[in-house]
Amino acid sequence: MSINKLLVANRGEIAARVLRTARAIGIKTAVLRHPAEVDSPAHTIADEVVTINGATPVAAYLDIDQIVELAQRIGADAVHPGYGFLAENAAFVGALDKAGITFVGPTQEVIDLMGDKIRARNYVEERGFPVAPSAIEDDNPATFVERARAVGYPLLIKPSAGGGGKGMHIVREESELETSIETARREGERYFGDGRLFVERYIENPRHIEVQVMGDGQGNVVHFWERECSIQRRFQKILEETPSPALTPEQRDDICESAAGIARAVNYRGAGTVEFIYAPNGGYYFLEMNTRLQVEHPVTEMVTGFDLVAEQLRIAAGEELGLQQSDIRQTGHSIELRICAEDADADFRPAIGDILLMDEPVGPGVRVDSGILDGGSVTTDFDPMLSKLIVHGRNRPEAIARARRAAQDYVILGVTTNLGYLDAILAHPKFQSGKVSTGFLADEAEALKQEPDDTTQDILMAATALSDARLVQAVENVPEIYRMMGGWRN
Amino acid sequence: MRRILEINGKETPIWLASTGQSQVLHLGDREIPCTLDPATGKGAYTLELDGTRISLRIAVGEEATFVHLNGRAYEIGRTDPSQTLGESGGGAAQDQMIAPMPGVVVSVSVAAGDDVAEGQALMVIESMKLETTITAPRDGTVAEIPFAAGDSFGGKEILLKLEPLEEAE
Repeated sequence: MSINKLLVANRGEIAARVLRTARAIGIKTAVLRHPAEVDSPAHTIADEVVTINGATPVAAYLDIDQIVELAQRIGADAVHPGYGFLAENAAFVGALDKAGITFVGPTQEVIDLMGDKIRARNYVEERGFPVAPSAIEDDNPATFVERARAVGYPLLIKPSAGGGGKGMHIVREESELETSIETARREGERYFGDGRLFVERYIENPRHIEVQVMGDGQGNVVHFWERECSIQRRFQKILEETPSPALTPEQRDDICESAAGIARAVNYRGAGTVEFIYAPNGGYYFLEMNTRLQVEHPVTEMVTGFDLVAEQLRIAAGEELGLQQSDIRQTGHSIELRICAEDADADFRPAIGDILLMDEPVGPGVRVDSGILDGGSVTTDFDPMLSKLIVHGRNRPEAIARARRAAQDYVILGVTTNLGYLDAILAHPKFQSGKVSTGFLADEAEALKQEPDDTTQDILMAATALSDARLVQAVENVPEIYRMMGGWRN
Repeated sequence: MRRILEINGKETPIWLASTGQSQVLHLGDREIPCTLDPATGKGAYTLELDGTRISLRIAVGEEATFVHLNGRAYEIGRTDPSQTLGESGGGAAQDQMIAPMPGVVVSVSVAAGDDVAEGQALMVIESMKLETTITAPRDGTVAEIPFAAGDSFGGKEILLKLEPLEEAE
């Protein structure tokens, strides 16, 4: 089996990134485009651009029937889902299977299992991998308090039906446990009409560490080491790096082997990521497994030298992995910045606008995976991520320096982006020391704010005035006498 | 020639004049000689400000100017105080007139409930020592005038509202 023609059922930077590799290895390519979308790099790379219709662009990219039908119509024998949209949709995989089209990713069964967070957690726990201690009241209400006590302190009580932080209580001591359970139960009843509770170990100052895995579905699984993703805003990552500054070599081997073990347990096929919560005391707990290529996969490519999409396509074509764990080494350090159209000073409010001027950074160890073109526009139709800036250096300080230089050289004018904010993160002493947790951005919000100083403001005003053609023309046309007088009417 | 520039929510009035050789930026009571020349690169310019040469990138949008300076991008809002009110607001401006900047009401010549014709003078305001007459953007009926002569108003405040037009058939 081999892939002759690949449809990328995605858009933006990831579509462009997948298409580049597919073309390089000689596969014919096609990509989707909704009529409301502006041209993006993907549309200039693909051999074929196929129109997809839908009430909204997002609805179109989620339309399983239409995408399968388009794939058949253009004669695609494989579909790469990218990330998001249908990448982890078991029904999509089923529909492609039925149509005889290869899905570049894991089986429907594995997507189903890992998509159900409670089933996945139980599955992983039963096989001896670490999960955060927890107790679900529903399992046996009579023993709930007893089991909650066994979870250990500090612990977090949550209403089972809850969300948005309501009714959540952190318990640090045995003496507070029963009172807090009663309070949480009353709040659960009040907010959600449901007093059933869930208790889990509360990890203070946690890190988010994940491991890239790859399997061939034929019994072979390897890992491509870890990624540190603790820099998050609104529970979404905006800066990732590898190696993690938190891990010792022994801890690194341990967490990466756990991830590979979990993938081995399900005879995993394709690229996947096992996410862990990492506690300051070195403990780590399975969080979830993402059965797709991740946004942040390029940092792994930078330090291992592998093209993960090429590996995905090889495995999807039925080839064996053909790699030993010892073939995969981490060399140097890599950092990824997610460039988003948003105002970091206004609670990360998404920004829209026309891209009036764009200039991408270049230099040793600099890679840009972009979803935008100069002259394009940014709308609210899709996710605000515009592009990714990825750098590689011989060590972490060099990677940080290169990331800062590249972020400062990246010119995007016409729409507000978080480039300056990302640079401020890189410049922060705590980030540079590597001592961060998932609370870093919230804790350091004030320190990361930036106001132009007086000199900068003067420069900005002069530049604005002198580049205002109507203003300059009007000034030049003023008769000499008024020019001499200036303009003030007193 | 005046502009109101907005940086990070802060509005600053500026005045640009020319000496023939260079321009002079009036900022409050400061007068800063400056010139701007194209440089090599996309949107690249050299700004000479008070004798200092500064490299920057500039993109001029409809209502704002974007500047990339020392590795940071900035957005500077521009308002031309002499521009007719209502012009800038687009469709909604047909029903309400919004102050582009803070100022004082000089006189009001109509009252709520009055029928007005397109082009009719409705009120006179003064902002930045510049008087502007606000005229009716269309035929209609005055719905509301929140300010009287002598009142001061802030930027973006509604100065006058017309009754909305009946929904088109």
